[in-house]
Amino acid sequence: MSAYVLNKMLRDINQKPEKRERYFADPAKFAESYELDAEERRAFLAYDIGALYRLGAHGLILRPFTLLKGVAEPDYLRAIRS
Amino acid sequence: MPVVYACAASHAPGITAWRDAASPTQLTHVTEAFARLQHGLRAARPDRLLLLTSEHWANFFLDHIGAFCIGRADYYEGPVEPWLKIEKKRIPGDPALALRLLEHCYAHGFEIDHAHEMRLDHGTMVPLSFLSPGADIPIVPILFNTLAPPRARPERCIALGKVLRSILDAAPERIAVIATGGMSHDPGEINHGYIDSDFDRRFLDDMAGGNLSVLGQYTDSQLMAAGAGTAELLAWLCLAGIMEGRHPQIALYEPVVPWATGIGMLAYDMAAGLTADVAA
Repeated sequence: MSAYVLNKMLRDINQKPEKRERYFADPAKFAESYELDAEERRAFLAYDIGALYRLGAHGLILRPFTLLKGVAEPDYLRAIRS
Repeated sequence: MPVVYACAASHAPGITAWRDAASPTQLTHVTEAFARLQHGLRAARPDRLLLLTSEHWANFFLDHIGAFCIGRADYYEGPVEPWLKIEKKRIPGDPALALRLLEHCYAHGFEIDHAHEMRLDHGTMVPLSFLSPGADIPIVPILFNTLAPPRARPERCIALGKVLRSILDAAPERIAVIATGGMSHDPGEINHGYIDSDFDRRFLDDMAGGNLSVLGQYTDSQLMAAGAGTAELLAWLCLAGIMEGRHPQIALYEPVVPWATGIGMLAYDMAAGLTADVAA
């Protein structure tokens, strides 16, 4: 697992209620506080689950992140396997 | 005094959060096996629980990864997951016992991490909800890094168990040991839902055999081949080290597809004597 900053950001959203609120209020503004590269930022703001996985988001961080928006398991698995 | 009770159990979140997704038969088997473990634990009248457990980025993160981390907090809260269908509780700790274990480990070749604050997720709370439902027995948790490679080798986890054994034997408290995690599963990853029953049954048989040189031959890549979550069995291997000379009984194996996990449990019969090779 690499993608340190990407995983840090997603884990912050999962684990820290104040970060989660800031993310839901304004994802683009929230993402400015993290030094993501261009592709990571694009995938995050596009909610591109497959791309986030391929960029190195850990399954036990990405899956809980998608659960916050109620992404169903088959949809999650289809995205990361695409 | 020697450990008064020991067992190992899977901690899949589905056991509580998606309970009824399992078939009624499998659910009954899992529930009854937990009840048997709880019966054995209660009969042993432990006054402390040593938890060999793993977590899922609730405490460990890539800003600081250690192989093992012992909790020395006054209390622990969990679960962190609001969807787990387990009521959030505060569980008492035992910082004095934790410090004794920590210093003993340092004196015997294991400079393990230590933490004055830890949050408990399903990795601990699911088994505890069955085994210590009142959450009133003080706990000392040891977290294993099962997430971020490199992980401790199986052989090292067994060796840590052997080191812990000597101080547990000398402790005045009535201590029970609970290992959690596994068996095969690949949570959130490409093979989510895959269960390697052949691996799981062989691992259970090897645990039941109690032969530490056999168990010590497992490798990280063997565990990972059965799914990323299978590395949680490092805690079971540490338990085998603590319980050297005893043979656990396999209490359950059910590959529960809706929980995406091979669910295994075993328990040590403390009424049985040590095997001759260790007793001698």
